[in-house]
Amino acid sequence: MYEILGIWCVVLLTLSIFSYLYGDNPFYKAAEHIFVGVSAGYIFTITFWDTIWPNLFGRLIPGYVKAGFEFDITYVFPLILGIFMLFRLSKKYDWLSRISIAYIVGMMAGLKFYVFLNSNLLTQIKSSTINLSGTYYSIINEIIILIGVICGLVYFFFSKEHTGIVGKVSRIGVYFLMIKFGASFGFAVMGRISLLIGRFEELIKFSAYKIVKDSDELIIYNPTLFILVFMIITLTYWAYKDKNKDILE
Amino acid sequence: MLKKIFIKLGQLDRRLIFVLIGLSVLIPLIKPGWINIPIKTTSNSEIVFSELNSLNKGDKVLVSFEYGASTKPEIHPMSVALLQHLFAKGVKVYTVPLWPEGLMMAKYALDEVQSSKLFNIKEHIDYVSLPYKAGGEIIIRGIATDIRSIFTQDVNNVLLENIPMMEGVYDITDFDFVFDLSAGVPGNAEWVQFACDEYKIPLSSGCTSIMVTDAIPYVESGQIRGILAGMPGAAEYEQMVFNYLNDNKNNLLINSDVDITPGKATSRMSAQSIAHLLMVLFIVLGNISYYILRKRSS
Repeated sequence: MYEILGIWCVVLLTLSIFSYLYGDNPFYKAAEHIFVGVSAGYIFTITFWDTIWPNLFGRLIPGYVKAGFEFDITYVFPLILGIFMLFRLSKKYDWLSRISIAYIVGMMAGLKFYVFLNSNLLTQIKSSTINLSGTYYSIINEIIILIGVICGLVYFFFSKEHTGIVGKVSRIGVYFLMIKFGASFGFAVMGRISLLIGRFEELIKFSAYKIVKDSDELIIYNPTLFILVFMIITLTYWAYKDKNKDILE
Repeated sequence: MLKKIFIKLGQLDRRLIFVLIGLSVLIPLIKPGWINIPIKTTSNSEIVFSELNSLNKGDKVLVSFEYGASTKPEIHPMSVALLQHLFAKGVKVYTVPLWPEGLMMAKYALDEVQSSKLFNIKEHIDYVSLPYKAGGEIIIRGIATDIRSIFTQDVNNVLLENIPMMEGVYDITDFDFVFDLSAGVPGNAEWVQFACDEYKIPLSSGCTSIMVTDAIPYVESGQIRGILAGMPGAAEYEQMVFNYLNDNKNNLLINSDVDITPGKATSRMSAQSIAHLLMVLFIVLGNISYYILRKRSS
């Protein structure tokens, strides 16, 4: 019973989100709010029970939590910093939350500084060099990458006016950037189509009277068709009722 | 006359374009036999396959799940094919979710491989699932330096010290390979920066299409060994794994009486390709229409 209800919910929420393609409407708004609420609730619950409870309270009250950690008094500090963070909700004491934020920013800045310098700067500079012992194809490839890197950097060099040779080099940098943006756009389209395929597959799967699940037959009463027809009728009625206004208004 | 047609096409109602894109995806999915576009493997997918194929029986691979329901169609086929490939080779798999939804995705992928009955795998002997921990990069750093300061139990609350597979596993250097299935942050970039680069552990990644251009510099520099790029990458890898499983059906680790079926990404590629062709057509027509209109107005 709950499984069938879940399938009907999947279809209803998917079609509600798709209904935005026609225009903003109550189905879409409801699905959007449900998504935000459920996501927040799920993340809060799983973070508390999988991280805060075993990793923090498991060290402060190990006898009660039994997460496999030993008692460690130093974990009082993260607890205090966490409580300070909740003071964001108080107008009088919200300054306390800045201590927690300052700790997070400082710690992450320090951690990121080293790893970024190592992985994104030094290794990338090293890999921009041309390996002359490689094949002709790889040498040509590496020369193109090197030209792209230098021209791209010149484009972002603002201490000198982009005229003359600097202007020409930065122009080449723009072309490289455009190619990158074009590739990103192409990949973004590809990603979105993949997600559409995923949703359509589910809708097709649930457009049957019965499905086979774990070698058992499950009668689901064709939710895709019923909900689609119901939504089309409802949206048409709303649109007809007030032609000059947005459906939601 | 031709110019008028182009101008009209450029002024098409966007809802009509949505319907056409929808149909271009829907028809190949409903009637897969109508369109059959062959899948050609690319060098990046081949690198991933050969890197994983070079692993030996008993090697330890950490598989990181950083995707959720929204990106499941792209990444999940990779996860299933990856697990099939690793179990066929007798590699020990350690799953770790760095996204809240990753916990479910890891479970679904393992359940799918288990229910296929292709392998006789057992929890805590062939694979272990670690629970979700909030913190992203910090958790990666923790895995790199001391796993047991973060994880003391698996997802079923079994203490790691009671799991035979966890014997001798204390930090990232105890793994032979890391595979990252990512759809955002934390993702492959964080694995490169916070763990694999510093400790020189080989890393490969399967990611969403939108992340590929950002990850390619790491692939070019060898920091990531090959990449499975979105659904096409998943389909290519699936096909290589499918061929590998069929060629090694007599392998002791594969149940030879169970049929090996190709994964889901392969069947989705026709829909993907047709939708792309239609997109390209719309972009070309839109640009011609815009060019004619601009010329007229000037």
